[in-house]
Amino acid sequence: MFKLNLKIAWRNLWKNKGYTFINILGLSIGMASCILIFIFIRYQMSFDEGFKNEDKIYRVVSTWDYADGNQFSSQGVPLPLTPAMRNDFSPYIEKISAIQQSAGLIKIKDAAGKERLKTIESVFYLEPDFFEIFNYNWLSGNYNSLTDPGNVVISKEMANKFFGDWKNALGKSINFDGKINYTVSGVIDDVAENNSIPLKIMLPYKSFKDRNMTNWGSVGSNSETYIKLKSNVNIETLAGPLKSFLKKYYVENAPGKEGHLFQPLTDIHYNEKFGNFSGRIMPKKQLWGLAVIGFFLMVTASINFINLATAQAVSRSKEVGVRKVMGSQRSQLVTQFLTETLTIVLISLLIGSVLTEIALPGMQSLFDSKISFSIFQHPIILVFMLLLVVFVSLLAGFYPAVVMSGFNPALAIKNKISANTGGLGLRKILVVVQFAITVTLIIGTLVILQQMKYIREQPLGFNPTAIAMVDLPNDSLTTQRFATFKTQLKQVPGVEEVSFCRTAPSSQNNNGSSFSYNGGKDADFQVNTKNADEDYLKTFDLKLVAGRNLVKSDTINEYLVNETLLKKLNVRNPNEAIGKMISMGGMKAPIVGVIQDFKNKSLHENIDPILIGALKPRFFYAAIKLNSKQMLGTMKTVEKIWQNTFPESVYNESFLNEEINNYYQGEKIMGTLFKVFAGVIIFISFIGLFGLISFVATQRTKEVAIRKVLGASTIELVKMLNGSFLLMVFIANLVAWPLAYLFVSRWLSGFAYRIDISIWPFALAMLISMAITLITVSIRSYKAAVANTIDALKYE
Amino acid sequence: MIQLKNIEKYYSSKGIKHYVLRHVTTTIKQGEFVSIMGPSGAGKSTLLNILGMLEEPTYGNYEFMDEDVTNLNERKRIELYRNHIGFVFQAYHLIDEMTVYENIEAPLLYKKIGSSERKSRIADLLDRFNIVAKKDLFPNQLSGGQQQLVGIARALAAQPSIILADEPTGNLQSAQAEEIMQLFQKLNKEEGITIIQVTHSEKNAEYGNRILHIADGVVKDDVAVRDSVKI
Repeated sequence: MFKLNLKIAWRNLWKNKGYTFINILGLSIGMASCILIFIFIRYQMSFDEGFKNEDKIYRVVSTWDYADGNQFSSQGVPLPLTPAMRNDFSPYIEKISAIQQSAGLIKIKDAAGKERLKTIESVFYLEPDFFEIFNYNWLSGNYNSLTDPGNVVISKEMANKFFGDWKNALGKSINFDGKINYTVSGVIDDVAENNSIPLKIMLPYKSFKDRNMTNWGSVGSNSETYIKLKSNVNIETLAGPLKSFLKKYYVENAPGKEGHLFQPLTDIHYNEKFGNFSGRIMPKKQLWGLAVIGFFLMVTASINFINLATAQAVSRSKEVGVRKVMGSQRSQLVTQFLTETLTIVLISLLIGSVLTEIALPGMQSLFDSKISFSIFQHPIILVFMLLLVVFVSLLAGFYPAVVMSGFNPALAIKNKISANTGGLGLRKILVVVQFAITVTLIIGTLVILQQMKYIREQPLGFNPTAIAMVDLPNDSLTTQRFATFKTQLKQVPGVEEVSFCRTAPSSQNNNGSSFSYNGGKDADFQVNTKNADEDYLKTFDLKLVAGRNLVKSDTINEYLVNETLLKKLNVRNPNEAIGKMISMGGMKAPIVGVIQDFKNKSLHENIDPILIGALKPRFFYAAIKLNSKQMLGTMKTVEKIWQNTFPESVYNESFLNEEINNYYQGEKIMGTLFKVFAGVIIFISFIGLFGLISFVATQRTKEVAIRKVLGASTIELVKMLNGSFLLMVFIANLVAWPLAYLFVSRWLSGFAYRIDISIWPFALAMLISMAITLITVSIRSYKAAVANTIDALKYE
Repeated sequence: MIQLKNIEKYYSSKGIKHYVLRHVTTTIKQGEFVSIMGPSGAGKSTLLNILGMLEEPTYGNYEFMDEDVTNLNERKRIELYRNHIGFVFQAYHLIDEMTVYENIEAPLLYKKIGSSERKSRIADLLDRFNIVAKKDLFPNQLSGGQQQLVGIARALAAQPSIILADEPTGNLQSAQAEEIMQLFQKLNKEEGITIIQVTHSEKNAEYGNRILHIADGVVKDDVAVRDSVKI
């Protein structure tokens, strides 16, 4: 029976090639999009999974609550926290380990003692206990070797890179930062890419020079701590001990009230509030957003199917009637129609899989991650595809099957089933739903693009164009060469300005400190401290509103402040602030100038209060303003000078413009996704519409012919056929507007600087949808209107 | 086999009843070949539909094989279709997407008859109706007469005890019509299958052994046909 059903299904699909094509096209594109979205979500959900007892692993993170209601948070903890916690929490914690991220120059010598490799790599200092918390796959050696401060453990990838083959790595020597030689004592298998701690080079924590620091007031995001609970302990049990822990180690009257949280391992990849070492965070709500889009894509494609199937139902009515009098049960008919749907869906799945494979490289480059579409590696993908098939078959096939199998045999046999059975009303509602989804996506896309343009054109308050940021190695030896280096740079033709600084005006790398103004008590907010030399203003084109620029100095003996800082301190007149003292961390210096506000972070955030002072040991970058016409050649010269000045280090440059653009990577991805999926959904909706108008035109052929004989003009006929479709799309617009408004206003509220929502994206979306509808529908209805009258009438 | 008592069928619109059938009372015995005749709109087809349980009478009582089937549920009705009733239509109503073979096979599949039994029955029918060569053709590749032969073969496949035919020759030329009628007569005589047909043609009615004349929903005349000389 099933085989026969399949055969009949195939013949039916072949007979209605046009509709079948539309259905398969829509469904396969929709399914491909869904599969892509699924494998992306699966990849993101797979982060930090697969460790033994993973539900017992937590990261200790820090928070500060300020009197003004602001809360700051950091993925890091103060350095003395780990030993203190190991001691105080010993009844609850099985293991605790600090992990310190750093980076440095790695040199490898070959057997002859000649330098074989020189590279800058990120390294982690960690305690052997770290590997009691996270079980990694050891290829050789073991983690106890990290108790010796002279050992190093590396990943297979690094071992292959350094020594050709990881099997030879054990016992070899690695020079770090030109100072210490470490001996390779272990090799671990490469850490999967979906891991928030990208371990490659692991140094013993005992060789980390600041390990015994006792300052509880300083937290760096590169010092993390992980714990593993004892198997019989719940995380809730730790609330009490944590309270007394905080009381014990922190002073009561700090301006920001310190706190710590235990963040579950499973939360690390998703929580935007805290970062992680891999730098990759995917907020769950974005994954949800994608899932919703995928769902709507599938609904849109299924609506095409339902509409075309119910429209065709009339032509199947005779078959239903005959089968019923032959003794077919309704359920058998339903099965038969569902088999047909299943056939279409399976074909679509095959085509969809091919499309997925084609689209995958684009997806990988968009998200910059290695997503794989291998059902053998990840059988869950196969499960998803099967579920998708079942879901779509039922969603798309069930209703038409029920309608068709419900025809009264007496009427069906006499061909008395009218075209409107099978829910003309329902069909209209579905078209409205479909276009409401489409229009919402169009509006969303337009608003996102508009906002991105707005951000690009937003005045930053400084000029980021043609500025190269070159890393400066700064230890006590290299800083002595800074002055010569700067002089040499300035002589290069094509270099307009040079400034040594800690960060560019806008940076992801920010540094907050407590301070007091004019001899008062500590302010109840932190100030963002930047260190820069006297050429900073010129290089970045920052404007002074009062006072003067810094004078040349190697240590902080005067400050520049921004307008926001004064506003927060309630100083109205900038000139009033000149000469007032700022004290911070035991140092005191006067304000000599006030600079105009500039955007110092991404436009998601407001401007920070900022303090700028010269401090040579904190100059990490040379900011070089270039003549934009000869950038490439100039940078080559710059690199040569740099290599000569700092031969022991590795050169690294980046461009400020690109870095600022990178702040909006997430939005860029979102924008691209919306553009793509809006395109897909528009396409699916309109081929569906084309199918429907084809059907209506065929069905009304006779009516059109009669009207023509009665003297209707072609335009009148086209208008008659188009009318209801335009009305439906118009109603869909009305439905979509409030939904789209809710969506875009929520999205925009995530930006501190944003466009006002205007009527234009809405009006434009309406215009686009109506125009495409008009074109799609008119092509077909024109054909119907100019068809030969006699052909339509002579059979009657 | 069939007993109708006081069957009435009307449609109400705005409180006015439009009668299609009135006071139809009749008995049809096993092995009869009954022709229902009458002008257009007399209610012939409605009567046949009621006999085939495709429509329910508004009033009255219908017994099929000593069982009251006036208000039968779907499951039981389908059982009757599968085992006792075969339909033949004026427009043949073969399923366009199925070959001749598959069309004949369809009712057997619903009856859940085993594959070897199915094959032999279909082979037998194809052979009897001389359409073996056509078994892999689709309905639109056949002439009207051939299609109707397939239609009858399909109706017979399930070995029904009664065949209901609604103007079986209405779309056919007279030579083909004659062939179909002879076939009916043969089935009736040799296999004892009860046949009820609706027809316009006196000539076709002659093949049967009883004629019900209907006009304006009322049975006007119920006459026996003398044994035909045509056989």
